[in-house]
Amino acid sequence: MASATSRPLEYLEGLSGTTFYKLYKQPSTALAIFRRMLPDLAKCFVMALLYLKDPLPTADLEIWVNTESKKQRDNALSILGRLHILSTTRTGDNVRAYMVTDPFATSLRQALMGAEDSQSFGVFSRGPGETQTSIADLDEYARRQWEGVMGYMVGTSAFGGQRDMVNLSKGVKQLLQAGHLVEIRGSRVDITKDGFGFVLQDVNTQVWHILILYVQSAEAIGMDSVEVLSFLFLLSSLELGASYEKKHLTPNQLRTLTDLADFGIVYQEDPDAPCFYPTRLATTLTSDSSALSNPVTGSLTGPAGQTGGSGSGFIIIETNYRLYAYTSSPLQISLISLFTNLKYRFPNLVTGKITRQSVRRAIEMGITADQVISYLLSHAHPQLRKHNAAHGTSNAKGVQASVLPPTVTDQIRLWQLERDRLRATAGFLFKDFTSLAEYSAPCQYAAEIGVLVWKSEKKRMFFVTRHEQVAAFLRSQKGGGK
Amino acid sequence: MNSVDASEHYELGATDLSPSLLTVIIDTNPHAWALLENSLPFSKAVANILVFINAHLACNYANEVAVVASHSQKAAWLYPSQNAPTNLANADQDGDVQMNGNTPTPQTNKYRPFRIVEEQVTRNLKDLIDSTTGDDLRSNMSTMLAGALTLALSNINRRTIAWAEEHGGAALEDAAAEGGASGGGGGGGVAAAPNRYSASNEDERLQSRILIVSVSGSSDSAHQYIPIMNSIFACQRLHIPIDVCKLSGDAVFLQQASDATKGVYMALSEPRGLLQYLMMAFLPDQRSRRHLVLPTRVDVDFRAACFCHRKVVDVGFVCSICLSIFCEPPPGGDCMTCGTHLDVGDYHARPALLPRKKKKKKRVNGASGAGTPISTPTPGP
Repeated sequence: MASATSRPLEYLEGLSGTTFYKLYKQPSTALAIFRRMLPDLAKCFVMALLYLKDPLPTADLEIWVNTESKKQRDNALSILGRLHILSTTRTGDNVRAYMVTDPFATSLRQALMGAEDSQSFGVFSRGPGETQTSIADLDEYARRQWEGVMGYMVGTSAFGGQRDMVNLSKGVKQLLQAGHLVEIRGSRVDITKDGFGFVLQDVNTQVWHILILYVQSAEAIGMDSVEVLSFLFLLSSLELGASYEKKHLTPNQLRTLTDLADFGIVYQEDPDAPCFYPTRLATTLTSDSSALSNPVTGSLTGPAGQTGGSGSGFIIIETNYRLYAYTSSPLQISLISLFTNLKYRFPNLVTGKITRQSVRRAIEMGITADQVISYLLSHAHPQLRKHNAAHGTSNAKGVQASVLPPTVTDQIRLWQLERDRLRATAGFLFKDFTSLAEYSAPCQYAAEIGVLVWKSEKKRMFFVTRHEQVAAFLRSQKGGGK
Repeated sequence: MNSVDASEHYELGATDLSPSLLTVIIDTNPHAWALLENSLPFSKAVANILVFINAHLACNYANEVAVVASHSQKAAWLYPSQNAPTNLANADQDGDVQMNGNTPTPQTNKYRPFRIVEEQVTRNLKDLIDSTTGDDLRSNMSTMLAGALTLALSNINRRTIAWAEEHGGAALEDAAAEGGASGGGGGGGVAAAPNRYSASNEDERLQSRILIVSVSGSSDSAHQYIPIMNSIFACQRLHIPIDVCKLSGDAVFLQQASDATKGVYMALSEPRGLLQYLMMAFLPDQRSRRHLVLPTRVDVDFRAACFCHRKVVDVGFVCSICLSIFCEPPPGGDCMTCGTHLDVGDYHARPALLPRKKKKKKRVNGASGAGTPISTPTPGP
C-alpha cells in the first residue's frame, strides 16, 4: 500500500544526514528500513552491492536493468539516495560508481550474519515469565488498548454503553491532540478531519502514524529522536509471545516503553516488571499490510470472541450499494456509520446503504473517497473476496479482479469529485527556459524519477514535488554543455 | 484529476505484493565436495548460503524459505524440519549447533527468524552427515537430485494452497467447482484448476522458486534422468523457475531445467565468490526479475539420457509411439517402455549410406528392382 509506506518514508526523508548516520548504527534499524521502506528493485541493488568490495560503476548498474524499466530503476535509486543508503563516488579512474554508505552497510551485514556484541535485536528474558502470557492474551490486550484509543477519538462511549472503556493515560490524549487528530474542548472530545482520515486507515498505517507523532513529540520534550526511533525499529524485529529484558534499555527508552504500553503496542504486567512483551502491533510494524491483515485486524477489528478462522473481514457490499457488516463492535459500527445510512441493527449484523447523501456527508467531514474505499477493502468479507476471485478467473483476462464492486468504488469517487474540484500539491515550479530542448530534458528526467506533477510545453514550465534532484540534473547538464 | 479513471480500481489489489517462497536444494554429495575442498570448503559454502537465505528473508516480512539436502543416498529436509523442537529454549540447549569449530554466537544479537533457520539447517545437516556411513559412500557416488526436486515441489504445492486459503482472495478450488456446477462454462472447470498458478493472477499467488546449488557431475545423475525431467516439466507447468548455481562439473539436465523454466543458470568460475554470485544473480524474486537482465545460458546442452543404459547420448533412437530414447536399437525391436514392436530392421543400412551415395543412379534402379513397399518412387534430387 503506497499510503502505508509513504508516511514514515516522508518523515524519514526529512531527517538530517547525521540522524541517519546515528540511526544506521543499529543493525535492527538498518534491517527494518531495508525491509519496510524500499521498493523491490532497490532491495536488489542494495543486496547486490552489499558484499562488493569496490563501488559498482553506474554504467554497470544501468546495464543490469532492462531498458524498459528505466523508470523503476530511477525511482529506486532516488529513494535510496534520499534515505542516505546509496551514495555515488568516483573510482580510481574517475568513473562514477555507486556504493552502499557505511554505517548502513556494516549494520545490514551484521544483521544478516550476526554480530558479536550489539543487543540490537533485544535480549530474551528467560525467566518463568516466558509462559505466563500467551499470544492470545497479547492480542486481546492489544485489541482492547487500540480500540480504546480509537473509541476515544470517535466517541463510542455514547454509542454502546456496555463496553468497558479503557482508561487512557494523559500522555495518549495529549499525543492525539498534538497530532491534531482530536480537539479537546473542555470535557468534550471532537474528532478532526485528520482524525477521520486516521480512523479509517488500516491498523498498520495507524500505528505508524501514531509512532511518528510520538517521535515528533519526543523531540519537543527533549528526548533524543534517534534513541526513540531506533527503539521503535528494535520493537519491530522482536518475537511475538516472548518476553524481553528491560535492563539493557536506556532511561529514555524505558519511558517510551511505558508510553507505548498505553497504545497496546507493548505489554508489561506492571510498570516495574523486569521484562516486557511486544504485541502483534509491534512485531508486524515492518511487514506489508497483507502480512498482518489476517491475524491483527482479525483480532483487532473483528467481533470479540470470534477471532481465528480464515477470514478477517466482515463487510459485504453489493452492487446495489447495500452494505452488510457482521460486527457488534460499537467502534466499527460508528466508523461505518460515518459514510453509510444505517438501517437495521441485529445482534451480530448491521445493514445499511451507501448513498450520495451519506458519502457527501462523510466528505464534508474531511474523509476522502480513497479512505472510504480502502477501509471497505481492508475489511471486506472473505465471501466477497472469494466471489471476486471466482469472477476474475472465469473471465480470464489480464484484468485484476477487484474485491469491491467497481460500480460502487467508481461512484464513491465520482461523488467526491462533485464537490472536490481542486487539489493542492506543495512543490516547485520550473520556468523561464530559453529553449525547448533545455526545457524538455529536465522535464523528462523529472517524469522518470517520479516527481513531475504537471507540465506545459507551450509555456515551458513544469511543476515537481521535489526539486533537489532536478536541480542537480540541471547543474550536471550545464556542466556537461560547457 | 485522473483519480477517477476506470483503470485505477484494478490496480488497488495489485499493490499488495505477495511474498515469495525460496526453496534451496543443496547438493551434499561428499565426493564432489571433497574435490572442492581447496577452493570452497563445504562449511564455508553453507555459511554463504545461510547469509543468502537471511537476505531473502530480510526482503519481505512474509517471505518463506525451505532447504532440502540432496545427499548421496537420500534427499532430506533441512528446513523446515518436522522433528524440530518447537520450544525456543530447547533449540539453544542441545548445543550441537556449532559446526567446524565455529563457536555458537551469543543468542541475542541475531534476528529471530534468521537464527531459527540457521540452527535448524546446521543441526539437520550435522545429523545427516553423522548418519552417513562409509558403506553408503562407497556404494553411491551420485546425488539424489530427483528426490530433492520432488520434495521441493510437493512443499511448494502445499504452501501455495495453504497461502491461497489463508488469503481468501484466491480460493480457486471452490471457484473451479462452482464453474463446473453451473455447467455453462463447458471446459471452464478444467481450465480453472491449473489457473491457481497461471499468469492471470501472477501477483496474487505465492511466488515460488527453486535454487539448486549443484556440485556433482552430470554422468552421476544420468540414472535419474526420467524423474528429474518429470520434475522439470512440472516446474515448467507451474511457472516455478529453477535457478542453478553450478560450483563444479557441468550438469546436462540442470541446464535444461533452467532453460525450460526460465530460471537463472550460472556456472561459477570462481567458487570462492559464491556469496556475491548468490546476492547478485539469485536473490531477485520473480517480480524484480522483470526489470533486470538475467544471466542465462545461450548454448544449452539439450542432450538426453537413454532409457536403457542411462547413458547421455548425442544421437539416439526414439520410439515413435511413446518417445522413449535408446542408445541402441532395443533387443528384438520391441520398445522397452511401451512394448510396441518397432520396425528397426533397416537401421544397419546407416553406415552403408556413404558408399551408396556415390552410385546414386544405380541405387534408384536397384531399389525399384528390390521391390520396396513404397509404391511411388522418391523423386530424385
